[in-house]
Amino acid sequence: MVRGISRVFLALALVLGGGASARAEQPAPPRSTAVDAPPADPAPTSSAVGTPAEEPTAPAEELTAEESRASDRPLSVDVHGFVSQGFILSSGNNYLADSKRGSFEFNEAGINFTKGLGDRLRVGLQFFARDLGAVGNYVPKLDWFNLDYRLADWLGIRAGRLKAPFGLYNEINDIDSARVPVLLPQSVYPTLNRDILLAQTGGEVYGYVPIKPAGALEYRLYGGTLFLDPPIAQPPLALKSFRVPYVVGGRLMWEAPIEGLRVGGSVQALRFDTVYTLPATPPMPPPEITIGIPFVLWLASFEYAAHDLLLAAEYGRWKADLETTIGPVSKVDTVVNERYYVMAAYRLSSWFYPGVYYSHLVENVDKPMVRDNFQDDLAMTFRFDLNAHWLVKLESHYMHGTLDLSPELNDGTAKKLLQRDWGVFFVKTTAYF
Amino acid sequence: MGIRAASLFVFVAFLWALWCVAEPPALAQAQPSPEVYRIVVNPKNPVHSVDREFATQSFLKKVVTWDHGGVIRPVDLSIDSPVRRKFSEEVLGRSVSAVRSYWLQIVFSGRGVPPPELTSDDDVIRFVLREPGAMGYVSSRADLRGAHVLVVQ
Repeated sequence: MVRGISRVFLALALVLGGGASARAEQPAPPRSTAVDAPPADPAPTSSAVGTPAEEPTAPAEELTAEESRASDRPLSVDVHGFVSQGFILSSGNNYLADSKRGSFEFNEAGINFTKGLGDRLRVGLQFFARDLGAVGNYVPKLDWFNLDYRLADWLGIRAGRLKAPFGLYNEINDIDSARVPVLLPQSVYPTLNRDILLAQTGGEVYGYVPIKPAGALEYRLYGGTLFLDPPIAQPPLALKSFRVPYVVGGRLMWEAPIEGLRVGGSVQALRFDTVYTLPATPPMPPPEITIGIPFVLWLASFEYAAHDLLLAAEYGRWKADLETTIGPVSKVDTVVNERYYVMAAYRLSSWFYPGVYYSHLVENVDKPMVRDNFQDDLAMTFRFDLNAHWLVKLESHYMHGTLDLSPELNDGTAKKLLQRDWGVFFVKTTAYF
Repeated sequence: MGIRAASLFVFVAFLWALWCVAEPPALAQAQPSPEVYRIVVNPKNPVHSVDREFATQSFLKKVVTWDHGGVIRPVDLSIDSPVRRKFSEEVLGRSVSAVRSYWLQIVFSGRGVPPPELTSDDDVIRFVLREPGAMGYVSSRADLRGAHVLVVQ
């Protein structure tokens, strides 16, 4: 089903790509044109109302590419893309890649096409590929695709593969140019869990409701499923089935009448169902082990973004019930994570944007705070915008705790034996348009 | 050792960046006087005044419909325009860079596209005269050719 949809959108991309090329070939219009010129409004400020002496008419001129796009003319397609290359260097432990000796296995590329079809309907899609240590390996994926119909300010609908609105920045977790730090706070936006948290396939309703004088409300509600690679079964277990029967969620943000301030909350529920079989002992059929994991995630968000200042903080708890059934025997184990961060950034100039954040992650709030049950992350980041399409970031992290580390990247060493205090340094450059 | 060297590098880069950001007084005096802008709409548009929140929400495409039902079509000047800089700070409450960052978030998450960026006042006026739902801004020197100036309260 999804592959079929993907092919449809791939074909659409090719068509749209052709449109983009055609748009680029449009001749530029003449800059000076003969127009019936009513008297110019002499008022010099925005507080004056113009009163033209005659009814003007638009001259018959060719459209520029930008005007064409704004007018939703047939050939207008928005094309945007990015390419990133990063470098990771760590001390004490390997993190995300083989980073203790330095790793360039940290790159991303994406391109998207968006086309307006009339005033209120839009279609689009984005291809994305990345390599981050053992993850990604440059395999391109259809990152998102959607059709979006905006019935009114307060109601719109989207369908397709949609980025999940969870927290302030989940949708841009892999878009380097759209944020200040190289790594968003990993307690709330874990980059290695991208396939699970970032997008879902289904539908969404959304809207924006001004509530004068109390600001405005923005809501988004979604439901669908995830198409994930099945887990790898460890012998003697054999995987029989794996599915994600549902993912549902929503986000409500209140834009306060204070300029740049918004607060809100997000919630998401999803479930994994996995069935394994054990070797059969004839004449009995092979016994089955059923594992169901319903998750409930919630996150409270605060952001103040006005002029050149950005302040953000989020706090959440993620709960997972591990429901295991072996024959007639069932049991449930519950794990509750705790996650929060605070972040501040200030754009000192158009090209220099430093920031800092502190992030805290606890895997199980009911267990002692030993090194493999938590991770603190103090990060300092510098974003340099070299021009309108190219940036460089430098970022260093002081880490305390080993929860977010991988034994596989550290010679199989258990997390509780890895170095408790360690550091990471990133350099990343991104070109985008 | 590696991480210490890296941290030192970051610190030095930070100091260098701060030094670069510090603006010489002579250069500051050479800045042009602040631009004055006017928000313009199509002459057939019955709306003659809006509050600032509505203008902000329209240019950020949070609100897409005029009160009388037509679709709002905002249009921007290019990012290096001093008129846009002034408009962005005063109406949108953010720097041009911050607004651009906002649109990057929208574009790469599949939620929309930014307003088109036109290069001159004349282009904006031409667009506004052509599109009934258009909303743009131009410098105070622009020849409006009949485009209505919108009062922002």
